[in-house]
This record gives sequence, C-alpha cells and structure tokens, in this order.
Amino acid sequence: MIKKIFSYNESYLFFILLAFVIALTIVNPSFFTLENLFDLLKNSAGTAILAMGVFIVLLSGGIDVSFTAIAIAGEYVAVNLLNALGISNIYLAFAISCSLGILLGVINAILISIFELPTLIATLGTLNFFHGALLTFLGTKAVNVGQLPNCFKVFGSKNIFTLIKSDGTQYGLSVYVLILIAVVIISWIILRFTMLGRGIYAIGGNKEAAKRGGFNVVKIQFFIYCYVGFLAGIMGVMHVSLIQYSNPMYIVGDELSVIAAVVLGGASITGGSGSVIGTLLGVSMITILEKNLVLIGLSSYWHKFFIGLIITLGVSATYYQAKVRGRKTLSYLKQKTY
Amino acid sequence: MFGERSNIIALSVIMIAVAILMSIFLPNKFLTLINFQSMTSQMAEFGLLTIAMMLTMITGGIDLSVVSTASLTGIISALILKGHVGIDASSTSGVLLVILAAIIVSGFCGLINGVLIAKVGVTPILATLGTQGLYLGLAIIITKGHGINDFPEKFLFIGSGTIGKVPMPFVIFIGCVLLVTLILRRTSLGLSMYMVGSNPTASRFSGINNSIILIKTYVISGALAGLSSIIMISRVNSVRPGYGYAYLLQAILVSILGGTDPYGGSGSILGVLIALFILQFLRSGFNILSISPFFGKSMWGFMLILVMIINFFLEKNRQRIRK
Repeated sequence: MIKKIFSYNESYLFFILLAFVIALTIVNPSFFTLENLFDLLKNSAGTAILAMGVFIVLLSGGIDVSFTAIAIAGEYVAVNLLNALGISNIYLAFAISCSLGILLGVINAILISIFELPTLIATLGTLNFFHGALLTFLGTKAVNVGQLPNCFKVFGSKNIFTLIKSDGTQYGLSVYVLILIAVVIISWIILRFTMLGRGIYAIGGNKEAAKRGGFNVVKIQFFIYCYVGFLAGIMGVMHVSLIQYSNPMYIVGDELSVIAAVVLGGASITGGSGSVIGTLLGVSMITILEKNLVLIGLSSYWHKFFIGLIITLGVSATYYQAKVRGRKTLSYLKQKTY
Repeated sequence: MFGERSNIIALSVIMIAVAILMSIFLPNKFLTLINFQSMTSQMAEFGLLTIAMMLTMITGGIDLSVVSTASLTGIISALILKGHVGIDASSTSGVLLVILAAIIVSGFCGLINGVLIAKVGVTPILATLGTQGLYLGLAIIITKGHGINDFPEKFLFIGSGTIGKVPMPFVIFIGCVLLVTLILRRTSLGLSMYMVGSNPTASRFSGINNSIILIKTYVISGALAGLSSIIMISRVNSVRPGYGYAYLLQAILVSILGGTDPYGGSGSILGVLIALFILQFLRSGFNILSISPFFGKSMWGFMLILVMIINFFLEKNRQRIRK
C-alpha cells in the first residue's frame, strides 16, 4: 500500500506541501486558518486555471508562452469595450474576453499545426506581437477602480457563502473556486474519458506515431491552443475583478511562475505524462511559496530566483529519471522536442 | 550549399533595400557618420547575444538565458569595478581583470546550462528557461533590484571609445565574429557542432562525444553573453538587473532570419551578420522616427513569425523539387 502511494510523483509533492504547510503554521499560527485558506484559493484560482491550459500544452509536447499576453488582451479589451458601451455585465465581459482568447488561440494553432513552427518560437513571437499590438492600438492607460465597470467589482467580491469571525468581520469562499472546479473537472474529463484526450497524450508521446495511429494531429493541436486561449480569457476577467484595476502591463512576465507550477506538478515534455492533480499541487506549492517568502525570512527579491530554481530542479528530476529509465531500454535516441 | 548561398544573396538584397529605403525616407539622418557610429556600437552588444543564440541553435538547442547571463555578469562585473571585492579596477590591468572575471562568471553560467542539457538530459528550452529565472533572480538578490552606475574612466573606453572613427564595441564584436567563424569553419569542434545539431544519433555513432560538444557550445554561448554585458554596462555606464530583456526575442529573430535552422544542423555567421544589419537599420529608423517601443515589440514578433512561415514554404518547395 505504502509502496504504491510512493510510486506516484504526486505523493511526494503532497507530502512536501504538507511539511511546508506545517512549518509555516509553526512559524505563523494565523497561516492555518479557514480564512487564509479561502483567501489563498481566491488568489491562486486564476493561476491554477492558466496552469491547466499550460499543462495540456506541455502534455502534447509543446510549450506556450503567449498565454499571459492573451489573458491581458482579453481582460483589457473587455474592460474598455464595456466602458465604451456603457454596459456593466460580467457575462458579456467573459464572452468578450474568452472570444478574443479563442481567436488569438486560433492564430497560435494555425502557426503551430499548419505551418509546423516550433511551438516555443511561434508563441514567443505571438507573445510579443499580441502584447505589442495591444499597447500600440489600445494604449497603455490603466483603468482604475473608479472607472472600472461595476460588474467587475461585484463579481470580484461575490462569495458562495460567508462566515462571520468571532470579532464580527466577515469572510467567505469566493465564486472563483466554482470556476476553478469547473475548469479542472472539464480538463480532467477531456484528458481521461475522451478520444481527444487520448490524442493529446498520444502526440505528446510521439507525434509521428500518433499521426500514423489515425489521430488528426492538426485538429487536436487546434483544440489545445484554442483551449489555452479560452482559459486565458477566463483568467483575465478573474484577475481584473480580483485586483479591481486594469493595467495592460500586468500579467505579461509571469509566464515563468505558471510554467514552474506545471513543471513542479510533474508534467514532462519527454512523453505524454503528468496529471491534473499534480498540476494543482504544483500551483498550490508555488502560490504558498510566493505568498509566504517574507514569512520564512526571505525578502521578495528572492521570488524570481526561487521560480528559476524550482523549474531547474523540477525538470532536472523529471528528465534525469527518464534518462536513467531510457538507458535500460537504449532509448537515448532522444527525439527533439520544441 | 546552394540553399545557403541563395539565402545570403536574398538577405543582402533585403539589407540593401532597407538601407536605400531608410536613406530616402530619412535624408540627412540615416546616412550620417554619427548614426553609423551609434548603430555599430549598439549592434555589438546585441550581435554578441545573437551569435550566442545562433551557436546553440546550430546544435539543435536554444539558449533562453543569454540576457539573464548578461545581467548577472554585468552586476558582478559592476561590483568588482566599484571596488567591492578589494580590487582596484581603475588601472588597465584592473579593467582586464574585470573582463576576465566576466568571462569566467558567464562561462560558468553556460557550463551549468550545458551540464543540465548534456548530462542531466533536460531539453534546452526548459533547462535555459529555468536558469533564465535563476540567473536573473541571483542578479536581483545581489543588488536588491537597484542599479549600479559610474564606472572608472578606463573601463568606459570599452563602450564609448573609438579607434580611428570606428567605435570600440564594434572592434570587439568583429574580433569575436572572426573567432567564432574560425571555430565553426576550421576546428573539429565547429564541425561536430553542426553534426550534433543535424543528427545527434548519427554523430554519436560516428564517435563524437555529444555531451562534451554541447557543454562546450553552451560555455562559449555564455562567455559571449558575458562579453556582451561588459560592452553593455560600459556603454551606458550603469547596470540594472533585467536590462536588455527585449534582446531575447530579437536575438532569436535575427538568428532565424540569418538562416539558422532552429531544429539544428545549419546556420552561418555571414547570414546572421547580414540579418543583424537589417534589424539594426530598422531599429535605427524606428528610433529616428521615434516610433513607440510597443509598436517595435509587435513588429519584431510579427517578423519572427513571418520569417518562420516563409522558411516553411521554402522548405516545402525544396522538398517538392527533390522529389
């Protein structure tokens, strides 16, 4: 039983996370409270949603760095469009942001599946193209709380239920959690129970084999990059509602944190492996670490270093295991992955 | 071979066309000695980063950490220059010592990349994506995010001095170009790099030690990034973590525009050199016209994609002819 538990990468991660939480609670007893947990969930929901998208891309053997530009584009366009129309409707905001996300995702998908560009270079190009175009054509002016349509503020502070603390202040579980759960379940079902999901794993394992096995690789890649765009659109609206401020310079530049979370969760580019649970654990780990660096006595300057360290160590562990395994089967004839 | 030559001819035509267009639209501004001096000195730091990128692409990899390596090296060099390690860096020997230290630090950054890729077996993208954060993070920790400025007079000669009418950075750059050309064309290391890039399995079975070749490539790439940072901090007389971040995309763009295959196995320094001039002409034109940097950003992204799509069609065409 115990042996079986430890045969999963996720188990290690879970116990590290547990140890980390216990350590934090000892240092700061207020860490392990329901209020803090709710707060953490609300703050990390957006990252977790992005991570789901990035996870699926990594699973398929690609990499996407343009999702932050898509998220900020969707969010900023939605805010400005709602302001221009004078409408305050959160569903419309989501519709605008997600449609734009899917549209930009289609551009990525065309480049990657039809023109067969290396995914990193294609998305690095679109990252700069999307963000640069957004700043050029829509401007760089931030929209502050006062100018923000009311629906964002309402949505940002909407709770599923609220509890009252002993001193009378209220706290609650944000609706963000519902969106996150929905995204996680949908992603899980797609990967686990549909032919599409099998296809994603298959092209991650070996694209050529998947093609010969009858999978429509172009179609699958279209789905993947559109799905990432769609999720980025959702995250954008959640982000602006959370911080109640829309600045087109935000989010872009945080790609590494999300990729670090996914890599930490055990998704490997070598072959289609990794799990939804692992990704969620990875996100929790990164979020708790990011939010509590100061608490364990390190200034915020350490942030970037830690993210880099996690990616480096995380991928090293995954690839080293694969290499050792591969040596036994003489599979050092490594395929190139982009 | 024919493909490479026609590529270089095409690039030269584009370069001349861009230069002519610039001279027509910006009379008395583009074709001036001062503009060429400023272009060539900016080109040096960026060109070194591009060559660093190109070398790793030849072996089928990529080095996303070049700018971060340059940042970290720049910070450490600046600390030495300011006398924080007890060395007087205002003398000529002191300056040489700083340059040596920079090459060692950046070479070591490259070594870490190389070991991760060759020995641990991480794909170049993920390895250098991780170290990109790691090196920049270290730089931020060291300076707490602040910049360092005002370096000794002698050191500033590297970035803003001239020999005759030629800016010093350009002289260093040309020296490095010749050195790298020599490595690529005349040494077994150079040949092995192309072979590892075009088919790692074949090169391994023909007796090439792939790991050593890859490690050497990344060390050279790191050292070039370090040299670039020396020029950079000397030219602007200050250093700040993250300076020159926009160069990353542009370095990839110029490498690919210059005919380097991102899948490895081909790439010529002449092509990259011409592509470098094209980009520098455009950038200088943007500067003179004071076009917004965001527009520039989207243009570089667009160009990168465009060049890749054109390459896709050229490759398809070539395959059809072969059949």
